[in-house]
Formats: sequence, C-alpha cells, structure tokens
Amino acid sequence: MENIGLLIDGFGHILSWNHILLMMVGVTLGILVGVLPGLGAPNGVSLLLPLTFSMDPISAIILLSCMYWGALFGGSTTSILFNIPGEPSSVATTFDGYPMAKAGQASRALTLAFVSAGLGALAGVVMITLLSGWVANFALKFSSPEYFAVYFLAFASFISMGAQSPFKTLVSMMLGFALASIGMDTISGNLRLTFDIPELIKGVSFLIAVMGLFGIGELLLTTEEGLRFEGIKARVKLAEIGRTLVEIPRYWLTIARSTIIGIWMGITPAGPTAASFMSYGVARRSARDKSMFGKGDPRGVVAPETADHSAGTSALLPMLALGVPGSATAAVMMGGLMIWGLTPGPMLFTDRPDFVWGLIASMYLGNVVAVFLVIATVPLYASILRVPFSIIGPIIVAVIFSGAYQVANSVSDIFLVIGFGLIGYVFKKLDYPLAPLVLAMVLGDKAEDAFRQSMLMSGGSLDIFWSNALVAGLMTLGLALLLSPLAFWLIGTLRKRRHDAAPHGDGNAAA
Amino acid sequence: MSENSANGISRFTVELGVAALTGAFGVAVCYGSLDIGAGWSEMGPDAGYFPFYIGLLIVFGSLVNIVQAFLKHRGTGEVFIDAGRAKVVASFLLPLIAFGAIAAWLGLYIGTAIYIAATMFFQGRYKWWIALPAGLGVSLAFFLIFEIGFQVPLLKGPVEAWFGIY
Repeated sequence: MENIGLLIDGFGHILSWNHILLMMVGVTLGILVGVLPGLGAPNGVSLLLPLTFSMDPISAIILLSCMYWGALFGGSTTSILFNIPGEPSSVATTFDGYPMAKAGQASRALTLAFVSAGLGALAGVVMITLLSGWVANFALKFSSPEYFAVYFLAFASFISMGAQSPFKTLVSMMLGFALASIGMDTISGNLRLTFDIPELIKGVSFLIAVMGLFGIGELLLTTEEGLRFEGIKARVKLAEIGRTLVEIPRYWLTIARSTIIGIWMGITPAGPTAASFMSYGVARRSARDKSMFGKGDPRGVVAPETADHSAGTSALLPMLALGVPGSATAAVMMGGLMIWGLTPGPMLFTDRPDFVWGLIASMYLGNVVAVFLVIATVPLYASILRVPFSIIGPIIVAVIFSGAYQVANSVSDIFLVIGFGLIGYVFKKLDYPLAPLVLAMVLGDKAEDAFRQSMLMSGGSLDIFWSNALVAGLMTLGLALLLSPLAFWLIGTLRKRRHDAAPHGDGNAAA
Repeated sequence: MSENSANGISRFTVELGVAALTGAFGVAVCYGSLDIGAGWSEMGPDAGYFPFYIGLLIVFGSLVNIVQAFLKHRGTGEVFIDAGRAKVVASFLLPLIAFGAIAAWLGLYIGTAIYIAATMFFQGRYKWWIALPAGLGVSLAFFLIFEIGFQVPLLKGPVEAWFGIY
C-alpha cells in the first residue's frame, strides 16, 4: 500500500536521537501540564508554541504533539490518584479510577489506564495512516464553497452535539469569529473593529485567548473550589504491572467499542471529553453486572481512557487532511502550523509529505515513549501535587504571563490575558463552552476567506452553496445538525403534552 | 436586585449581565462593521460584510440567552458566588492584576520575583528568608530557560537596563 511506504519514509525522517529526545521532553512537559491544575493540553501547547518559532517544523510538531500525548496521560494520573481530573477529558476516569486506587489497587488502575490509553491512541494513528491520504485526495477537489461548507459543518456539529445550551455555544463561537476579525483585513487591507485603539491593530492572538480562558480562568476556579489533594501513595510495582498486562485481553470488547466511539468523536469535532463520557456510559449500560460501576470497576477505567486517547489522536486527521481541527488542542497546533508557514489541508500532503508522514510516524513512536515514561515517572509527579497551591499557583501564573508576552513581545497582551481569564472563569461557571470560541478564533480568517471567495465567484448569491452535489450535501448535513436540537426539543415537548393530556393512557411508559 | 440574597450574587443576575455584555459586544461589532462598509464593493464583499453578520448572530444568541435566563434561572436561588468564596477568588485575582501592572513597569523578571515572593510571604505564610530566595530562584530559572535555553527574550525593565542586561 502506498500509505505504508510513505509511513516508512516518515520514520526515516524522524528516527534520530535528537527527535527521540524532543519526544521525551515533550511527553515530560505534557505530563507536567496534565498533572498541574490550571494547565491543560491546549494551554500547554500554547505556552510552548512561541518557543518553537525558531525550530524546523518537523521538530516543532514532534515536540508539540508529544506534549499533547503527555498531557492526556497526565490528566488520567491525577484522576486516579487524587480524584482531580487534570484535564476535562479525564473526568470520566475518576468515577472508577479513584475508587480502585482507594481500595489499594492504584498500580492496577494506573496500568490499566495507561495501556488502554496507549492502545486507543495507536488505533487512532492506524486509522490516520490508512485514511488520511484518501481524505486528502478527496479534499483536493474542494474549492472555496466546499471549504466553507466543511467549516459550516464543523461549527454546526458543535452547536448540535455540545452538552451546553446551543445558544451559549452560538454566542461563544461567534465571539471567537468576531475576535478573529479584529485588526487588519487580509483581503482589502482595511483595519477592522479596532475602534481606534492602537493595541488592537495587530489583532487578538488565539494563543492569548487560550492562555487566559483555559489557564487563568481555570486557576481562578481552582482557587475558588479550595483545592485539596488527598492523594493516595502511589508506588507502581513491577509485578502488579505484569499481572495487569495479562488481564488486559479480557477487556477486548470494551476496548474495541471505546476505540470506535473515540475515533468517531475525534474526527467529528465533538472531541475527547464527549468521547470519554459517552464511552463510559455505553460500557456501563452494556455491562451484564453493573453493580461495581462507580465503585472501582476496571472497565470503568478502560472505557473512558481508550476513548479519550483515540479521540485525541483522531482529532488530528481532520486537522491535517481538511484544515479543520477536531479539538481545542488540535486547533492550537493548527494555528502553530500556520505560524510556521505551513497550510494545513490537502495541499500539505503533496507539498510537504516529509512533514505529514514524519508527524504520523512520530505519533506511533511518541505514544509508545509516553506509555513507558508515564509509568516510570508517576511517583515523581504525584509528589509535585503535594507542593502547596500557594507556591504552584503563582508559578503557573508567572509562566502564563511570560508565555503571553512571548507571543508578540507585547505588554498589552499581559492585560489581555487577564481579561480572557475573567471571561473564562465566568463562562465556565455559566456553562458557556470555551472550545468553540478557540476553534472559531483559529479558523475565523479561513472561514471568512472561503465565504468571501465563494461570494465573489457567485456575485453575492447564496445559491453557490447548493451548486453541486458535494457542497449541497455538506451544507444540508450542516443545516440538519444545526436544526436537530430544535427538532429534539419539539419532539420532547409534543411527547410531554400528549402525555399530560392522557396521564392514564399508558402508565408504564412514564416510569 | 431582589434576587440577590444577603450572602452572594445569584446566578440569574450574572446570567443576565453576561448576556447583556455579549449582546453589547455584538452591537459594537455590527457598528464597527457598518463603519468600514458591510456592503458590496468593486472587489467583492466589503471588509465589514462577514463580521456584520457575526455581530448579528451574537446579538441574536444573547437575546435568546436573556430569555433562557428568565426561564431557567430566575427564582431558583442558585448562587453564582457567595461572599466567602468571592474573597478567596479576589485574594488570588488582585495580586495577579498587581503582577501585571508591575511587570508592565519593571519587566517580567523583577515582576515574577516580587509576585512569587509576596504571595508566598503573605498568603502562604512562609518566612521571608524562604519566600525571597524562592521568588528570585524562579525568576533566575526563567532567565536560564527562556533567554539562554530557547533564546526568546522576556520583557525587561529599567532595573535590568541599570545592570546592563538586555
């Protein structure tokens, strides 16, 4: 197969001590941001991004993507040992992971989590290896209207599939688009929405937004909740790792099912958080013996972890092949690609095959490196969390401020980060989702360009989005998704009304 | 507002406030877009064409959120933040803003050292001989990592200039 050959070339590009070292650095930093409260994967990648501007793109993407894998692993560690999810996507792991650790099975829970996460990630990468070339080839046929339709589909699925109120998602997303359009207009060269404030001329960087929304905002929430780490002493014993590894094949069905859920949720922009919750729910519903769920059922660790990581890796497929990232972290990485002068999307596969296949090869290797590193370093990271928050918190703030300044060497960005932090704090408390805002900020310019070019092609008529089967199909799917919450709501109220009208009709259905 | 109990701000008030603010932002976006031209020019859609509709959607979403706040959160007694928690959040937020101001004036290295030492001393209740070296240590570590390791400069102020470090 053609893809396998390309993959072997990719391994040729990345197999050097330098790159392996970068992987280890990336994974280590990733575990660190995953473990620390207030620093998550999107934030960690944003903070590291300015430091990679002078690197070559392959090294830079290896460092950043490995940080992503590390952060996913780090998030599970704190879920299991401290009952504190380091990442939103590892919330579901706390349900059964923490009870297991409390019952003295910390090593077993951690090993189960890491190995099933590794398997999920590998499945995601295999999927990318097999499908990416095909998706990219398909996308080569796209012109501006099709691109706009793909963006529309991505954003529509956010509104329909998000757990939050669709209108809050809409507002959050549109704020992102508006923020992205501040500054110089790329087509006409006019200044937009700057309101004569000189600091706004350079625009608002999505990196600043991520650091504030996810970093400072999360820290404010953490302080408010009065974080207390009641950790469980974790000593990973080799014998127990061995015993757990033998146990893994027993969960093949859970792993297979969770992988499929994860891959699907990763490709569509639902993301790892939704995937892990859904996979946990499915595992519990389909289990014959549900009594242990929530009290330390190993399947309750395996299911969300597998789905979380397969979704995390799969999120890179639409980013690479279409230029539409599947998660907030993938969005930040995509922003990074654009800063390094690469254009994500199908052309990347023909222009820079060394980069694309190098990245895919590094995903295989990086995940293996991550599994070993995380098992080896768990006790070390567990001890970091015993450092009081009055030291860790301010250090994280200082790191974020430094990162914010480095984005554009601008002092005003430091205050902008504080502003975004406040927005992040309030939005989080009111259930406004933050990921759509970030995604819209990264994609804003591209979506707008696609829209304006389509309008130019058609002379201002919206008919162009229904001019051929492909674009019409994408737009219709997007509209259907957009209207689906409304349809569900209508069906729900109709059912309720019918039920209220005939309360004794069929009483069993009510229960 | 009568919704507010003595011990905090109700969620309803904050929901309304946030929706009103996003709505106002939407209006500002529409106004800014009309200002630069939201119509059609010889070169195709004008610069404000796309943002204008974005602004309209923000206004629309905010209005629905206001209605939903009335439907879902009025009179539920849900508290957004109570006085005790607000104090805790402020104790983290205010030093953070002060840090921003000091950093803008004296640079990030001095700012970091002062901020870390001060929070450790005043909030962590560490002795000054632990807090001060810790602050300086973090600042020095930043210098080694960023300036020397990655060769990206951080903001420097008058103090570094005085010592001749650029």
